[in-house]
Amino acid sequence: MSSNQSNTQNGSEQKEKVSESAQTSLSKKTETITPEFESSIVNQLVTRFTDKVVQVVYVRPGRTKILVPPNEIVQVATFLKDTLKFDHAESVSGTDYPKDNQIEVIYHLSSYSDEKLSSHVLALSTRVDRNDSRMPTLIDVFKSTEYHERETFEMLGVYFEGHPRNERFLLPEDWADIPPLRKEFRIKGR
Amino acid sequence: MATAPKDFRFGNFVGSLIQLIFWILIIVTLVGLPLIFIILFYVPLPPVNGEVLTPYLFFSMMVDPTRTIPIINFMIHTDMFRVAVFPGFSYAALLAAATIFIERKFLAKMQLRIGPLYAGKIEGILQLIADGLKLISKEIIVPSGADKLIFWTAPVAFVVTAAAVVSLIPAAPGWVVADLDVGIVAVFAFLGFFPLIALLFSWASNSKYPFIGGMRALHQMIAFEIPFILSALPVVILAGSLNLTDMANAQYPYWFVFFLPISAFVFYISSLAELERIPFDLPEAESEIVAGWLTETSGMIYGLIQLGTYVKLYALAGLFVILFLGGWAGPQIFPEEIMPGYTGEKIYNATTVNAVFWFTLKTLGMIMLILLPRGINPRIRIDILLHTGWYKLIVLAFINIFVALLLVYGGILGPGGLLST
Amino acid sequence: MGLEIVKETEEDRLMTLSVGPQHPGSGHFRFTIKVDGDYVVYCDPDPGYVHRGEEKMCEYRNFIQNIPHLERPVIHDSTNITYSYSLAVEELTNIQVPLRGQYIRALASELNRQVYTLYWLGIYGIFLGHSTMFMWPVGDRELFIDLLEALTGARVTHAYNIPGGVRNDMPEGFKDRCLRQVAYFEKRLVEYEDIFYNNPLFRQRTEGVGILTKEDAIKLGVTGSVLRASGIPFDVRKAEPYDIYNEIDFKVQYMKTGDSFARSMVPFLDMRESCQIIRTLLDKMPQSGEVRAKLQPNPKGPAGESYKRVESGRGALGYYIVSDGTPKPYRVKLSVGSFRNILALPYLLIGSKLADMPSIYWSLNYWPVEADR
Repeated sequence: MSSNQSNTQNGSEQKEKVSESAQTSLSKKTETITPEFESSIVNQLVTRFTDKVVQVVYVRPGRTKILVPPNEIVQVATFLKDTLKFDHAESVSGTDYPKDNQIEVIYHLSSYSDEKLSSHVLALSTRVDRNDSRMPTLIDVFKSTEYHERETFEMLGVYFEGHPRNERFLLPEDWADIPPLRKEFRIKGR
Repeated sequence: MATAPKDFRFGNFVGSLIQLIFWILIIVTLVGLPLIFIILFYVPLPPVNGEVLTPYLFFSMMVDPTRTIPIINFMIHTDMFRVAVFPGFSYAALLAAATIFIERKFLAKMQLRIGPLYAGKIEGILQLIADGLKLISKEIIVPSGADKLIFWTAPVAFVVTAAAVVSLIPAAPGWVVADLDVGIVAVFAFLGFFPLIALLFSWASNSKYPFIGGMRALHQMIAFEIPFILSALPVVILAGSLNLTDMANAQYPYWFVFFLPISAFVFYISSLAELERIPFDLPEAESEIVAGWLTETSGMIYGLIQLGTYVKLYALAGLFVILFLGGWAGPQIFPEEIMPGYTGEKIYNATTVNAVFWFTLKTLGMIMLILLPRGINPRIRIDILLHTGWYKLIVLAFINIFVALLLVYGGILGPGGLLST
Repeated sequence: MGLEIVKETEEDRLMTLSVGPQHPGSGHFRFTIKVDGDYVVYCDPDPGYVHRGEEKMCEYRNFIQNIPHLERPVIHDSTNITYSYSLAVEELTNIQVPLRGQYIRALASELNRQVYTLYWLGIYGIFLGHSTMFMWPVGDRELFIDLLEALTGARVTHAYNIPGGVRNDMPEGFKDRCLRQVAYFEKRLVEYEDIFYNNPLFRQRTEGVGILTKEDAIKLGVTGSVLRASGIPFDVRKAEPYDIYNEIDFKVQYMKTGDSFARSMVPFLDMRESCQIIRTLLDKMPQSGEVRAKLQPNPKGPAGESYKRVESGRGALGYYIVSDGTPKPYRVKLSVGSFRNILALPYLLIGSKLADMPSIYWSLNYWPVEADR
């Protein structure tokens, strides 16, 4: 399913390769406004890295999302920071998709120094395998991800290679259970 | 209690009254009378109306109250009275207690709130007694590894030293517990003992936060002792004597604060620092080092230290009044005789009462001035504090020393000067 | 055994202090510092004392049921933390909020911002030893809480914002009461400035202390008043106006120095600006109308995701909600200002004096409960 209106109107490619459980653009809200500025950002990305690496998930006014494989994420992030002027990460979160056997780690990036980008949030997402969840860290590119990645590690079990402290942060010291945000962890009594 | 309890029986009430009278009579005859005999055997009392004072004569005073006057006159002039009651412990403790209550109410009004309200019928006046009882009933926790001897004796030493400073302050001409010729030097000697007590206590607490607090207390109090002493020096120069009573008497026409305003200011700031009051309460800075060197105090130990602090507050305020504000000088507002036509012996002495009244009034005013910065200022930082104490205040104190020397050698003040009597 | 001379190692000089939860100057939060004399050489924040698993709990309740527990992270700024959630849910489930509801939502958000900032100011005063600056803001805060109680029914944790609008309309006479309160408060702000911000002792303690430069602020990704104190005029209400904020004209308050004084001054300036915004909102509000959209019993929308952010007292508060077509969200992630700002604490504290610790720590506008979620 894709939003046919924006597809034909500005001709940008919107390939949705991910499964139905997450991404569908809400075409009702994005009626006639063509997100030109957002599409231009996405086009720059797709031109620089091929669309085997960068897959565009959706383009909405103010929000875009792209999906990259884990081993390319550092390069894409460096490109976003140096060329496209996204200078900090607002949050890092992980979502557990047991149906696809994957965990999606998503970085929301925005910019303070660039005026046009300051209202725009780009979601840089990657999918790691659930059983062997390792991915390189983005701490050298965006310093603001330090504590967020640590929290994702303890909540979902995603190991960030290169992060100085993959340790417990919010959970108590005697936590002996599986990472709590995984779907098989049930809150007691529910 | 406007209503009687439900099972009230008049017979039981009368019976309880008789029981009370019975017990009073028993205690008075079996304990009170022998005690009075013993006291009267050892204590030299003056003869009354030409007769030796016996206990039965003593009880006859109830008939004619003027017979008690020689006894009261005698008692007032003993050393015991001075130590325990008038310029000594009771007076200081009463003023200290009043200071604590005034501080809480005064600050509350400044902060748009009411302060203690419920203890006691009038605006929470019994709050202090309630606090004192609470502190007495709390358990005193001694940290493990603490040096027990110093931990228990340091608060006592604190109160003792504060009381020693109080004993040197005259409250009226002739009314001082210890009239030393080197009064002011003795005051500073006693004040120099406080940093040592703070440091010893913080070290004996065997904990990190008290350690930091003790170091800060040491640095602060030592840094401000020098401006303290230097600001009292011009007063000595102008008065020509080290005795505190002489200093108060030498301010007869004009108070020294008019000639030595900078010294008075330096003295005021240094006394704020010696008392660890805001803005100088770093040794007990609550948000940084929990409670500083008082962290491990609990129960009555904390009570003793608070008592010592407020007694020291009275002592330093009294010292400021003696040195700069003319001591007990003030217009004579009490009449010479309160019962005109009475020709017997009198206790009432108009000059003394007048002196006490003015001294107390000025000391209370000074105490309010010391309490005031707490509602206005935040806490100062340690390096700014030390910079102020070591550089700025010493320079200011020296300015006034030179002014005082000029005044004395210029023949304006001092012995044989134009303005002194 | 004879006596040996032991060389003093580097480790011997350091003293490890735990500014822990059992400390009157830390809140529900612990950070370990190592001091060398009076200088801090190592700082390690250790949050998590109030972690309740908000994000996990959201997956067990439907969209409306999530509101009461989602406002617990910041009980006295609860309108803002549920505002962002309501916006995200409205985007997912395609609900349109009526105009009057949008105005009232913005009004409650501004009132709540005052409540939070006054509390923060009070605690900042008492951390620096200024007890009057604790009593005055907390006393004035009571008047705003009374207003909110008249509006929502509760003093804190209002549960007022729901997806679709607000729960109930304003009571009678609220507008006059609100305007009177705002006029009184603006006079009080002048007094705050006199006793606190113009106090030379306070300025001495905070000017030049803990300077966060503009580049470092961007690199560390801080937000809210910390960011605006370092010279970046970013406010979500202006950069990405949500609801009715694109019709409200106000100036973003910022300062350029980036020290503790600027960080304590910016929320004060924000409060002043907020009074203006409240007046404008009350002026422009439509006199009558619905305040809440009609909802289905278990609102749900097509599968999708949404990221919405709102300017709260601590900074940009973002919600990332993933929905899989059921009435319960699949994943809710809160990106709170406090958690982002705590990264600046070790950065600023290392190399500064221990005595500066309160003025740096609390000026970062860190609310421990919100950071732990």
